[in-house]
Amino acid sequence: MPLSLLILLSAGSWFMTLNNQLLIAINSVAGRSWLFDNVVAFFLDNDLAKAGVIGCCFLAAWYGGKGADQTARRKILLTTIVAAVFVIGTTKVLSKTIFLPRPEIQSQKIYQLEGDQLVEMGRMPVRIPLDEESQKNYHALLSGDVETNDLGSFPSDHAGFFLVISLGIWLASRRLGWLALGWTVFVILAAKMISAQHTPLDVAAGALVAIAELAAFRYAAARKWFDALLDRISQLTLRHSALSSAFIFAVAFEMSSTLVHVREFLGLLGAVRRHVLGG
Amino acid sequence: MKRAALTIIALTFFAQLSCHVQKHSLVLMTDDSYRPRIIATSKTGLGSPDGLLWRNGSIYIADEGSDEMECWSPTGGLKELADSHFGFLSPEDLVMDADGNIFFSDDDAGGVWTIDARGNPRLLAGKEKGLISTEGIALAPDGSILVGDGEQHEVFRVTRDGAVSEYLGKQYGITKPESMVFDDRGNLYIADNADDVLYLLDAKHELHRIIARRDSFSPETIFFSKGALYITDSHHGKLFMYRPNEELKTIAAFAGELKNVQGITTDDAGNIYVGVQTDLKRRLGDIIEISKERG
Repeated sequence: MPLSLLILLSAGSWFMTLNNQLLIAINSVAGRSWLFDNVVAFFLDNDLAKAGVIGCCFLAAWYGGKGADQTARRKILLTTIVAAVFVIGTTKVLSKTIFLPRPEIQSQKIYQLEGDQLVEMGRMPVRIPLDEESQKNYHALLSGDVETNDLGSFPSDHAGFFLVISLGIWLASRRLGWLALGWTVFVILAAKMISAQHTPLDVAAGALVAIAELAAFRYAAARKWFDALLDRISQLTLRHSALSSAFIFAVAFEMSSTLVHVREFLGLLGAVRRHVLGG
Repeated sequence: MKRAALTIIALTFFAQLSCHVQKHSLVLMTDDSYRPRIIATSKTGLGSPDGLLWRNGSIYIADEGSDEMECWSPTGGLKELADSHFGFLSPEDLVMDADGNIFFSDDDAGGVWTIDARGNPRLLAGKEKGLISTEGIALAPDGSILVGDGEQHEVFRVTRDGAVSEYLGKQYGITKPESMVFDDRGNLYIADNADDVLYLLDAKHELHRIIARRDSFSPETIFFSKGALYITDSHHGKLFMYRPNEELKTIAAFAGELKNVQGITTDDAGNIYVGVQTDLKRRLGDIIEISKERG
């Protein structure tokens, strides 16, 4: 085996060990205090507390500023919306391709299909929060209830989605952006790791996708034709403020509910395709 | 830089449109004392197995994907017993009597089919006798064969000379008798995976609903061994064990490509064998052995 490959493998192994140790350290605060766990669960499960803040920051950034500044902000935020759609798509495709179950699942005795063999995976000794929802999910897991969504936790779509939106807000308005970024990192993503739904590596990978795709769209937006298009749309949103407000309300609403309604709609379209076209 | 940015966007777009999403597959052992192992796959000639039956060191398979009846053993590998040239279409479930005669059902061709101990296949009783879509099959203590019909919602008795009579009529309310097995006391368990109910027909011919939890339980195949009823659930991807007067216990959960668990059987040592239809259309499947951890 070449030396470089050996070094790469040992570095990868060290990195995964570090990732697991970090998660266990973060997760060590869970399962000790009923009150703390319920507060964490509230910020994870309640759309207003979790994503509503990000939606509010987005709306404030959209309506903030005057004249050319407002147009510039809207151009950034429009790019952010498009980038966010791509980020969600990318994280979903990656998570369905890369097999890495949620840490909570990895705490059980599981065997992964590799080729024609079932290979036992290492167990991750995570703590289960004491809130009702977490306990209910854990007992369901002990009964073998495994959601398909729980089998691909890498990368974190929450990290990708909320970070791309927060970064977009940050590019449009520093103050609001710091608030959105702080909320995303210290409330949403921290809660995800405390409750062992994601490892730091999942979150870092989601963040990387968010940064790369937003950067790509921002660079693309610097092209004349793209900039002209964004400028035209921004002007339209100012001219037709009632209609654009309705649109941006829908966007902020979906942001605040982590795109759950859009996903349901896409699920319905998939079901219609299967039943009507037999695909 | 702009080119690089556009390349990232184009690649992302391409990946999202063209990426073939593979299903993750795992087995979660909710009972730590067991471990799973794949013993036969499509690469060794297996199609999509439905009914399984262990007997004398071999596993007899109603292979719904390959439209064949097969026999697998660790030393001899997979052997064909009969194929669809004899008229059957989708072997569903099977039983074997003490003399080594196999009886099997077929939900597409209907009827009860048999392969005698010498290996000669034939139709025992077909559609013309009212057996339209046969599912679960059980060997009655008197030697006759009980077979469930999913389209007629009835259970029929078939004698060794092919005479068919009604055993449980529509009035019993069993929608799809997918699998049936007798216990050691002469009670008949019936799995209905349309209504998601496990029934028990006692010796007095009274029908009882033993387990009915539509949201979390849908019995696919049942097998009785050493005082326990083993149950596969293809809807939820689970393997259960049930003992009378005890809670239903989950032994393992299957996810991804392995979720569609079908037939089940056990050997003398207590090892459990589960058939998995990973892709029925493409005739792919596995047989997984679930055995007790040593030591």
